[in-house]
Amino acid sequence: MRSRKVFSAMMAGVGLAGLMLMAPITGAAAQEGKVGGTLKLLANAAAGTIDPHINYTLQYFQINYILYDGLVTFRKTGDKTGFEVVADLAESLPKPEDGGKKYVFKLRKGIKFADGSDLTTADVVASFQRMFKISGPTTGTLYNGIVGADKCLKTPATCTLEGGVVADEAASTVTFNLVTPDPDFLQKISIPHAAILPTQAPLKDSGTVPIPGTGPYMIASYDPNSLLKMVRNPHFKEWSKEAQPAGYPDEIDYGFGLTDEAAVTAVENGQADWMFDPPPADRLAELGTKYAKQVSVHPLTAMWYAPMNTNLAPFNDIRVRQAVNYAIDRAAIVKLFGGSNLAQPSCQILPPNFPSYAPYCPFSANPGEKWSAPDLEKAKALIAASGTAGQEVTIITEDTEVSKSIGVYLQDVLNGLGYKTSVKPISQNIQFTYIQNTNNKVQISISQWFQDYPAPSDFLQVLFSCASFTPGSDASVNISGFCDKSIDQKMSEAQTGMIADPAKGAQLWTAVDKAVTDAAPVAVLFTPKRVDLISPRLKNFVFSPQFYWIMSQSWVE
Amino acid sequence: MLTALLSRLGQMVLVMFGISVVAFLIFFATPGADPSARIAGRNASQETLVQVRHDFGLDRPLPVQYALMMERLFISRDLTSFVNRGQRVVPTVLEAIPITLSLVLGAAVLWLLGGLIVGVIAGATRGTWLDRTLMILSLIGVSIPVFWLGEVANLVTQSRWHDSWLFSWVPPLGYIPFTEDPWGWFKALVIPWFTLATLYIGLYGRVLRASIIETMQEDFIRTARAKGIGERRVLMHHGLRTSLVAFVTMFGLDFGALVGGGALLTEVVFGLQGVGKLTYGALQTLDLPMILATVIYASFFVVMANFIVDVAFVFIDPRVRDAH
Repeated sequence: MRSRKVFSAMMAGVGLAGLMLMAPITGAAAQEGKVGGTLKLLANAAAGTIDPHINYTLQYFQINYILYDGLVTFRKTGDKTGFEVVADLAESLPKPEDGGKKYVFKLRKGIKFADGSDLTTADVVASFQRMFKISGPTTGTLYNGIVGADKCLKTPATCTLEGGVVADEAASTVTFNLVTPDPDFLQKISIPHAAILPTQAPLKDSGTVPIPGTGPYMIASYDPNSLLKMVRNPHFKEWSKEAQPAGYPDEIDYGFGLTDEAAVTAVENGQADWMFDPPPADRLAELGTKYAKQVSVHPLTAMWYAPMNTNLAPFNDIRVRQAVNYAIDRAAIVKLFGGSNLAQPSCQILPPNFPSYAPYCPFSANPGEKWSAPDLEKAKALIAASGTAGQEVTIITEDTEVSKSIGVYLQDVLNGLGYKTSVKPISQNIQFTYIQNTNNKVQISISQWFQDYPAPSDFLQVLFSCASFTPGSDASVNISGFCDKSIDQKMSEAQTGMIADPAKGAQLWTAVDKAVTDAAPVAVLFTPKRVDLISPRLKNFVFSPQFYWIMSQSWVE
Repeated sequence: MLTALLSRLGQMVLVMFGISVVAFLIFFATPGADPSARIAGRNASQETLVQVRHDFGLDRPLPVQYALMMERLFISRDLTSFVNRGQRVVPTVLEAIPITLSLVLGAAVLWLLGGLIVGVIAGATRGTWLDRTLMILSLIGVSIPVFWLGEVANLVTQSRWHDSWLFSWVPPLGYIPFTEDPWGWFKALVIPWFTLATLYIGLYGRVLRASIIETMQEDFIRTARAKGIGERRVLMHHGLRTSLVAFVTMFGLDFGALVGGGALLTEVVFGLQGVGKLTYGALQTLDLPMILATVIYASFFVVMANFIVDVAFVFIDPRVRDAH
């Protein structure tokens, strides 16, 4: 996914001087938490509908993980194990049957929704039907492998998923049948889009009206213009600490409307406990020195990259794309983003700490595992061989400071390679869909990708498979229009390999990562980090690699 | 009077129609404005995209879409936002009005008083050091961008000296409803009031001064003086009253524009969720229903303000009254 707003205000030359020395703020395990009080959170703006089956933003994914549960979920811990799938509403993690095409979940007993009704197998079936009936954003991409999903996608109103999701009320089990084996299935149903909602949940986008969930908190009120208020779910009883631990605060207030600047000040003053948006660049120095104890920095499994249109000149020539990769000084771009404390140079598609990641950088002065310096001579030689110098190139960036400054830097690089380059910034709300549509004839752009679930397919298959390229559509996330039949074949093999032998499958994915990186449909620039600023009274800041700060696990003093 | 009112109403409907059509067309003429893919979500499949486009009526001809949107805005009043889906735009705008009104009314009191005082004193002491000082201060007030002034006010009151005795009373940024806590309402708004009023005090002071100086050279002033009326009475009763025409015209237009959302920057800087803030947010996210609602609302206030100014003239300026 893409976060709603990505480090938009970070600017050139400002570093978090003091932050490097800091250890991440995590509470000692033995520390006893304080129950009660109100957590006060801030964000620039609300992030849209609160329907968990529809909302596709980082901002609300984060709260949906504590408001709702799936059959399975990601472990709520602050270390690497936060990427692991654990049983949630299901009693245990099911073993894949029938060669990975069948999963049987047994529901836990005694779980109630926030409205007091009991969780039943019928709710599970209804929830999966609902996803399709309301045209959930990921139904066609993540859940299309369920038997019957193709019919549901064609005619959502009459969706039954017959044969795909089968309940056995007496045994309290739900069986999922897949068309083809999918090693990522459990991860895909761990995200909030597969949350289990009551059968009577409305069959349309619920918008600003909350739907009862099973988590420790529930939404009491929601006004996108001012406040989202969460209170304790009176029917919640902890059933699994690793899946859905009970929360400390009694209430969580999420206020909207303050600018980044004002939000930083409010947290510094203790008027609020945390802000969603990254702090603006001009405040980083102050945060790194005076408020260093209240700041924590975590690497993200994400990338900033420059997609190049493999179907348009000059980037339809692999030599040109490789030349751009060789010519980019990634250290300079990291500086533009805020320095080495906020980002790490990268050349490959998969981010560090990600499954199947093996350090790889062919586009460096010393090709190997890590990027060291640009290789301009090689780049110029490749351009000369391609004979494309002198052509016109337009770079499409977002209208944020950092995206524009990276665009201008890239302009220098391309001009240096002999092109006539211009930069065109577009509102960050439009740019992402604009650069996807081939009708707009975008040659090169600046974009970001954040993981949805920790599987290599979420980067490689989603962004670079032939299936995710649809000419003339605003929803064609393969922005480069990259379609290589042999690499597609390798991806399917890796995916099948994951089921038979996960270790071998992972190796196949590593090979795919190298193959895509070598084909250079994009220039990966860097891996960003996230800066969290918290109030002094907030304790036990636990950062999940999957959905960032776990709000329910912090308390206020 | 009735004909005037009716013709004004007619004008208002025309202006609002024109503006809404222009806003609507600009939206659809913007490259990449099609909201379907943003509504459908990242990485949506083509089936989902088609479904969403159909659900939101975006696959229909533009005039039909326009008519449907206006119907949902004015008749069924259930038009919802493209961005915060489910958020009904009409109640949202209505709920934002008290915040904008609180801000603009308070600031208006300040700038009317301030403008009057500055204008009258400077006009009466024309050419002296007092006049010059006031005019320089006014010029500074006019020149300071309101968002900068607001940010500096925030820097001083919320950050640098927040913990000192001077500003420890300042509540966190945001609006506190009058009905909930009148004193809190006042404390939360007093700094935004001064920030917003600064520009207008300077502007109105300068305009009033010029107008007074001009009026004081008119024949009827000479007549008044010749009748033996005291200088103070001549200034306040004859000079000031006539000079107020320009003042009131400006006030009507400015007030209308500000209530209509023109106080946008002040609202954004101080985190006040008024109409201006709504407009700002809607423009940033290209939220067409919200843009239409706020734009139509703003044009309504601007036209209304014009009308009220016209009526007010009748009472202030004897020449207008006698002409009727």
